[in-house]
Amino acid sequence: MDARLRRVNKEIADCKNDKSSNIKIELVDASPFHLKGSFPGPQDTPYEGGHFEVDIVIPDSYPFQPVKMKFITKVYHPNISSASGAICLDILKDAWSPVLTLKSTLISLQSLLCSPEPNDPQDAEVAKHYTTSKRSFDETARYWTQIYAGGPAVKKMEVKEPQKDEIAIAGLEKAHVDQFEGLGFERSKVIDVLRRLNYRGANVANIAEDRIVEELLK
Amino acid sequence: MSSDYEYSDEEDFYDDDEDMASAGDDDSAPSDDDMDMDSFADDFKVPQHPPRKSYEIEHEPLSQQAVERLMTTDVDHISGIFGVNESTAALLLRYMNWNKERLIEKYMDNASSVSVAAGVSTPSRASPSVSGPAPIRSSGTRRRTIRQTPVPKAEPSVCPICFDDSQTSFLALSCDHSFCISCWAAYITSKIREEGEHAVRCMAEGCALVAPDPFVVSTLANSGEDEDGRTRERFQELLVRHFVSANPHLKYCPYPSCTYTVSCPSASSRSSLTTMVPTVSCGASHKFCFGCHIDSDHRPVVCPIAKMWLKKCRDDSETANWIKSNTKECSKCQSTIEKNGGCNHMTCKKCKHEFCWVCMGPWSEHGTAWYSCNRYDEKGGVDARDAQSKSRASLERYLHYYNRWANHEQSAKLSVELYNKTEKKMEEMQITSSLTWIEVQFMKRAVEEAERCRATLKWTYAMAFYLDRGNEKELFEDNQRDLEKAVEDLSELLESPIDPETISTLRQKVTDKTVYVAKRNEILLKDTSDGFAEERWKWNIAVEGFD
Ligand SMILES: [Zn+2]
Ligand SMILES: [Zn+2]
Ligand SMILES: [Zn+2]
Ligand SMILES: [Zn+2]
Ligand SMILES: [Zn+2]
Ligand SMILES: [Zn+2]
Repeated sequence: MDARLRRVNKEIADCKNDKSSNIKIELVDASPFHLKGSFPGPQDTPYEGGHFEVDIVIPDSYPFQPVKMKFITKVYHPNISSASGAICLDILKDAWSPVLTLKSTLISLQSLLCSPEPNDPQDAEVAKHYTTSKRSFDETARYWTQIYAGGPAVKKMEVKEPQKDEIAIAGLEKAHVDQFEGLGFERSKVIDVLRRLNYRGANVANIAEDRIVEELLK
Repeated sequence: MSSDYEYSDEEDFYDDDEDMASAGDDDSAPSDDDMDMDSFADDFKVPQHPPRKSYEIEHEPLSQQAVERLMTTDVDHISGIFGVNESTAALLLRYMNWNKERLIEKYMDNASSVSVAAGVSTPSRASPSVSGPAPIRSSGTRRRTIRQTPVPKAEPSVCPICFDDSQTSFLALSCDHSFCISCWAAYITSKIREEGEHAVRCMAEGCALVAPDPFVVSTLANSGEDEDGRTRERFQELLVRHFVSANPHLKYCPYPSCTYTVSCPSASSRSSLTTMVPTVSCGASHKFCFGCHIDSDHRPVVCPIAKMWLKKCRDDSETANWIKSNTKECSKCQSTIEKNGGCNHMTCKKCKHEFCWVCMGPWSEHGTAWYSCNRYDEKGGVDARDAQSKSRASLERYLHYYNRWANHEQSAKLSVELYNKTEKKMEEMQITSSLTWIEVQFMKRAVEEAERCRATLKWTYAMAFYLDRGNEKELFEDNQRDLEKAVEDLSELLESPIDPETISTLRQKVTDKTVYVAKRNEILLKDTSDGFAEERWKWNIAVEGFD
């Protein structure tokens, strides 16, 4: 039997048989080389209570070349692209070892959620948010967990409309958005500019309103 | 965090050099004898070169074996000083980018930390040389930092990578992380072939040991994974490339699948690139530039100008694209005309109108001193009053030069096609008439010369575009015009009909013209090169390296 196939089949079977683990690996279609992994968000993090799904592609030279993984579930995290789900993690690149498995890699992703590395960011905007205001970042990450990963409702957000709140998704304050929307700019444009400029938390004091208007006029 | 396994071909050669130097190294310019280049060159002298022209640079093509011998010299040197075996010395040198002085200094300072960083030994096993410098030439004690060849291991249980219980042969580096030979071989193959990586680390997670060359080679051989030997070959090439990229005197031939290296110490400093064009050729006669990444001969212009011009052409390619097209309309009857030879003297098939392909002006106006077509009429800039007409004028100016540049490039290609057609015709005539093989050769020589001169001409337009107005530019353009006229005459001759009656006259004419063209080319190359050496050329724009 093909060495790669034997190894992958064994990995899938081992994962299934391990009842104590909360890591799951399932087939996506008939191919054993395109899989879907999932795990619960770690406790005491903004991701707690969420269910996170990961797309897994096994390359031809697996396990001698690293497995390809990206988040299917949208995650608000400095090392995960908020748009594509791409992950910045050393073991998925240079630090890969053929001894690592799909399960151990998924566990590493789970622990990446516990310990972000904002200095080696995949998503620069999210990383900026993380470093300027950890509290505001946590709030947004928790909100994303709630609406994208099926996490528990966030108290502060509960009062708002049940559908996705773009302002909360972007980690912004409604009052700020209203203020610039009141000047006659389109709401979506305001959100986009404030998000890009990291108009959040303590950073608000660093950004002149003129600068924002200037950006809005572009 | 991207893994970039490309070697110096893609990166800026001199930036590499600077990076090396800035990595805390005070000795940034290794001297000649650092690489034992002088003693080495004697061993590999290529039979006899024709005498070097003043605008040509001294260089030496080296085969892969020759570079390997240079590497061996360094490895033996380090192995002797440190009292370690050759493969350990090789790993240490590669880790230190072949900088022997720096390696010796660091190793004397702290042998174990260098060994660990180079992947030669594991932290716990490194020789405990905490105090004092490492003993010199203490062979024996230090000789067994790492295993030389795969050590057959007692089967642990099952290989933790493939879980294949039929595997019986296990191997480990000195860290004792044991895996089956099939996994090792597949891993080594993937590293070398897919990643272009010569430093193959142990497969265990977090283990930084690097497989020594004998381990790599014997594992590939014993596993049967590399039956055609191509992985082994690629490994050898990667090692050579690494050595070459670490040495500013050496450059790997950029032609696909060519394995020659060229040694050119006099072009290894950035400052030299403003005074000469280091065109070199490898042992397989591939011509390329030692100073930049242009993989062809860009004489007579120096690298900074050539690079600027190519960048401009890339940036402006959209607007310039239309000129490149192979078809134009006759200025008289508007029928479409396709250029199918190297000559610019066009005759419309339909209305017989004769015109110049480059400027589209009537051929008659070019007269005998017809080639006024190379010089851009700079006075056009005067009526550039507002910004818009200014930008139009600057585009027009650019197009004037670009047009001629592209035309020579295209003509060179077309001349080769024309030659192929002619050659076929001549072959036929060898059968039907009394012509011999030798009588075809004058055509071949003429086409080759025309191609060479068009390459020069092409680059003269890049040069003229940046040359500041004045006497020097005019003299340059005079030389350019003389060469251009000679080449166009030759190209026109090459398109004349060939028949057995007129061939001897044609041969005489073509041969004479070829000699003349070669002479004009020579004059232009030499004068331009002298101008760089004398710092005679002035630019209309800031050029890297010139003040
Ligand atoms: Zn194995
Ligand atoms: Zn190891
Ligand atoms: Zn070559
Ligand atoms: Zn160059
Ligand atoms: Zn016509
Ligand atoms: Zn013309």
